[in-house]
Formats: sequence, structure tokens, C-alpha cells
Amino acid sequence: MDSLNALLEGFATALQPQYLLYALFGVFVGTAVGVLPGIGPAMTVALLLPLTYSLDPTGALIVFAGIYYGGMYGGSTTSILLNTPGESASIVTALEGNRMAKAGRGAAALATAALGSFVAGTVATLGLTFLAPGISKLAVQLGPADYFALIVVAFLTVGALLGSSVPRGLVSLGLGLMLGLVGTEVLSGQQRYTLGVPSLADGIDVVIIAVGLFALGETLYVASRLRHGPVRVIPVTGGWRGWMTRRDWSRSWRPWLRGTAIGFPIGTIPAGGADVATFLSYATERRLAKGNARAEFGRGAIEGVAGPEAANNAAAAGVLVPLLTLGLPTTATAAIIISAFQSYGIRPGPMLFENQSGLVWALIASLYIGNVMLLVLNLPLVGMWVKVLRIPRPYLYAGILAFAGLGAYALHFNVFDTLALLVVGIAGFLMRRYGYPVAPMVVGGILGPMAEEQLRKSMAISQGDPAYLVHSPFAIAAYATLAAIIVVGLWLKRRRARLEASAPEPITASLPAWEDEPR
Amino acid sequence: MTESTGAPLDASASGGAPAGRTRAPAGEFAFACFCAAVGAYAIIGAGFIRVPPGSASVLGPRVFPYSVGALLLVASLVVVVQLARGRRGLPEDGEDVDPDAPTDWRTVGLLVLCFATQLVLIEFAGWPFAVTVLFGGAALALGAKRWWAALLIGLGLGLVTQLVFGAWLGLSLPSGPLLDWIPIFHG
Repeated sequence: MDSLNALLEGFATALQPQYLLYALFGVFVGTAVGVLPGIGPAMTVALLLPLTYSLDPTGALIVFAGIYYGGMYGGSTTSILLNTPGESASIVTALEGNRMAKAGRGAAALATAALGSFVAGTVATLGLTFLAPGISKLAVQLGPADYFALIVVAFLTVGALLGSSVPRGLVSLGLGLMLGLVGTEVLSGQQRYTLGVPSLADGIDVVIIAVGLFALGETLYVASRLRHGPVRVIPVTGGWRGWMTRRDWSRSWRPWLRGTAIGFPIGTIPAGGADVATFLSYATERRLAKGNARAEFGRGAIEGVAGPEAANNAAAAGVLVPLLTLGLPTTATAAIIISAFQSYGIRPGPMLFENQSGLVWALIASLYIGNVMLLVLNLPLVGMWVKVLRIPRPYLYAGILAFAGLGAYALHFNVFDTLALLVVGIAGFLMRRYGYPVAPMVVGGILGPMAEEQLRKSMAISQGDPAYLVHSPFAIAAYATLAAIIVVGLWLKRRRARLEASAPEPITASLPAWEDEPR
Repeated sequence: MTESTGAPLDASASGGAPAGRTRAPAGEFAFACFCAAVGAYAIIGAGFIRVPPGSASVLGPRVFPYSVGALLLVASLVVVVQLARGRRGLPEDGEDVDPDAPTDWRTVGLLVLCFATQLVLIEFAGWPFAVTVLFGGAALALGAKRWWAALLIGLGLGLVTQLVFGAWLGLSLPSGPLLDWIPIFHG
């Protein structure tokens, strides 16, 4: 029970007053920006990266962990309460939760989402606690060829599975790899693609790529097609204690657990992150629903909120497993968290649990603490988040631009970074406009240099024999898994597309009376 | 690499594209061609990377750039071919995005302009005023109703970030000639 002891020590660190405050700050900010439409956890972490310039590593990572979990909680509030007609079924919670809210059951939807997130987050963090040390022990024995195989797996799954079109995902990945190439090459000291500009000799910082794509690019894209007029929020009535009836509880707990069981494993493999997990959970709940509950699907079934929300949070925790044990980011947010690690000179990966065990276990302990804080923040304080949801959009997006500018300028206190940010931001806008996913670009920008390093190391070991890349059983298994993941992932995506196409139209006029139905 | 598997997943196949978007995808073509050009540049530029003599290391600094360029070029060309066959990209969704609105290039241009003012203003006028201009300008471009409110909030945000990040957290944000004489801003 080594890891249990280590975890207890982590709690001892994370429970110190200043770290508790950092965690509270993180979950608070995370929820706030999660609630704000248009700002996901990736953008939030990217915008707050300047914090790492002045906090100690433990503090900064606790803040980021809080933001990461908080953003997941806050997102559900938005999709349940924000009345945006015409939005496609891209967010599953919006599918059922929004309809529950329209039928006057918004409180129950919010409660089951928050409780489900808590259950899933806690169970999945437990999974992380017990899985991660073992995996990292295995990972210590991996050689450069194995790492290269893993990185190729991450490239292709992220590139091929995120977004709606495989070639577009690969273009995005290629652009990210290209940005990662710019700068002075480490092994031979040669400059590559610097166009003779001295500022480019140090390379393009990942912060520029992340903030440019997620903050600036997103803002420009939203601005190009902004929904004008007042923000319409569905009101929530009643005190929070009576939010969930006994029936709601009995209909929710099984979907919570099923969602966790679906979400966590999918999060750990690089298969496109939480999106796939939520859709799979939704499909499962719809299939398993019986009787009246089945008829409610499409009109506001509580199972359709509870399951996907749990799956979403469990997948978010699952993403941390490859991140912490292998140093492998499988989502854009994870990629940005890696760059936060790197700005402290810490390299996530198998050695992390050995060299920085205090830091890692404090981080994991703070995830448990953050989950409890989030439950408290979300249930009683939902009224405050509704106010946040109403911030007039011009000010919201102007503020995002200001913070993006801060993040870029504060890198080196040089306006060249501001210019680079603007260029990447315009690229991000065009990519969104023309249907290219942006996450592969961030992942490519971070993993590209690592991939090259591992490839060249393994070639140096084998003295140029490419067969070395597939000499170990692990590498062979990784490439085989890659093939399997791509096949399964494409199948899941097609399923999801079919599900979206067959999602029933909202029926708000003649809602059945739920309360007195026998089960 | 795996481009051939892409075909059935595109926008037209998943059935999510809003109807009535039949404008010629000139911009989409241009962007895909631009990406292909970047790929070509990567390949050509890779040939000019100097390989230091004597370092007969097995894999020089050129190999990886070549493969990145090839990936980018091939993937972009596949997109171009798909576009030519009428398969459009699916623009991203978002809570604040009106799926039926046409692209408002004027607002985008104004926002880019507002952001570009930072290039000059941060160092000449100081951080707080650069934020005032960026925030106020962007809010007005996005349709804020009261111009004085936008500018005041911008100024407040600039001063607060200057105090929090500059004075408290110790980032060296320039406070500008107008505020530099105040000790707390001087940091």
C-alpha cells in the first residue's frame, strides 16, 4: 500500500491552508469560465498560464487541476440553462437537460448533473490513484522506440478522431507539427524555418499556440457569427434542497455508475476525449431505459443527463492517467497542462512518480478535495452562476481578448509574441470557420518536438536501422492498438453521427406528467 | 497515411450541415491551398537546413521536417480534392454562435485591428491604456451599447491587471509614461 501512504502525504500537502486556497481559487475560476459559453477548460488553462510565472509548481498545478475539473462541472450548467434554439446536438447534456429545464425541471437536471459529476469524479480519481503508479512502473522500462510508438498513436488518434473529417484533422496536426519545428533544433543546433527572425530562434511557445487558437481564434469565430440580442436563460425555481425527488435519485444512481464505467476507460485511451464517452453513455442509457422513461428520451429524461455528465467527468479524470504516467496528452487541455509542467522544467512521464512524487500526490489529493468543493460550489450557488451566464457578450469577449494579450506579452515581455499570437489566432479563426478541428494542432505543437527527439534517439541507438522502431513487443502492441483504436473510434463516430441524425425533435407542447407515473 | 479512411465521415455525410449554404467555397479553397503551400514550403525549406559536417548522426535535422511537410501537403491536397467534389467542412458550433448568420467579416476585421493596436500601445502608452483601447474597441465592435461604459471597464481592467500581475505577482508589465511616476505602478 505504497501509493496509499503517498496519497496520505499528498493530502497533508494539499490540505495546507495556502494550497486549499489555491484549489478553491482553481475550482471557482474553473466553474465560472466553464459556465461562460464559448470558454472551455482548454481556453481557461491557456489564459491562466501566466500564473505559472509567479506561483510555485505545486500551487500552480493545483490551480490548473481545479480549473480542469471545475470547467467540466460548469459546462453542464450552461447547456442545461442557456436557451439557444438551433444549437445542434453537439452537447449531449443539452439534449435532455435543456428540455428538462424547459419543462420546469431544470433544478433536478442541475442536481443530477452536479451529483453525477461528483460521483464520477471521485470514483475516477480513485481509479487514477490505483492505476497510475503501476502504469508508471511499467513505463519506466520503455525505450525511445516505444515512446515514439506511443506518440505516433497519440498523433493519429487525435488527428483522425477529433472533428468531423479525417484529412482536416491531419492538416491541423500538420500545422501544429510545423509550428513545433520552428526554432533552433536541439541536437545539432541548426535553425529551422526561422526566416532569419531572431525572436523565432527560440521557437514558438506552446502558450502562443494554445492561447491563439483557443482564446483569440475562438473569439474571432464567435464574433463572426455572434448571436445578438439578450441572453435567454431558463429560470430555476425553488430551494436547492428539494431539487431531486426520491424518484430522481432512484433513476439517477445507476446511470451515474454506468457513465463512470464508460467514461474512465475511454478517457485513458487516446480516443478523442470526453466527447465519445458522453455519446456512448447517452446511447447506452437510451437503450436501457424502460417504459415511461424511454418515452421521455428526447423530451427531458433524467437518465440522459445523469449518465453523460458522469461519463464526461470520468473521462476527464481518465485523461490524467496517460498524462501523468506517460507524459502523453490526449486532449487539448491536457496538452496545455503539459506545457505548464514544462515551464517548470518538470517533464511528465514515468519518472514523474519517482522524481516528483510529492508534487504528483499533492496534485491527486487536490483532485479529491476539488471535487468536494465543486459539489458545494455548484449546488447551493447556482443562482450566482446564472448571473455569470448573463454577462453581456461584447464585454465577455472583449475581456477574453485582453487576457489573451496579457498571456502572450507576459511570456517574454516582447510584442513579437503578441504578433505571433495574432497570426495563430487568425489561423484558428479560419480553421473553425472551415471545419478544421483545432485540438490536433495544439497536440502536434507540443508532441512534435518530443516525437522527433525520441525518433532520433532510437535511430542513434540502432545506428540507422528502422526495424528498431518495431523491435520491442511494446512498440508492436502500440501500433496494433493504433489500428484497433482507429477502427473502433471511426465506428463510434459513425454511431454518433447516426445518433445525431436520429435525435427526435423537441416536443415541448405536450409534455407528459412525470410525477405520478408508476415505475 | 490514413487519409483514405476519411471519406464517409465528412460534413455532407453526417447530415449536420445547415441547408442553404451554397455559396462558392472560395475561402475554403484558399485556406486549404494555403495549408498545402505551407506543406510545400516545409519540404523545400527542409532541403536548406544546414547539416553540420562531421556529425554523421544517423538521422539529421532534415528528416522529421520532410515528413511533417509531406503529411501537411498530402492531407491538404486531400481536402482540396474533397472540396472540388463538393464536400464542405462543417463550421464549429457554440452556445453563442448563431448557426444561420452569415460571416460578419467587418467585426472580425475590427477585432483584429483592435488586437493589433497592442503591438504599438503596450510599449508606448503602457499596459493599462493598451487594455483600455483593446477592451473598449472590441466591446464596441461586438455591439456594446454604451461606449463610455466599455472604455471605463477597459480602463478598470487594465489598472487591475497591472496591479495584480505587475505590482503583486511581479511581471514586468510596462505601466507607461502616464502612470510610471506613481510608486505602486512603478513596481
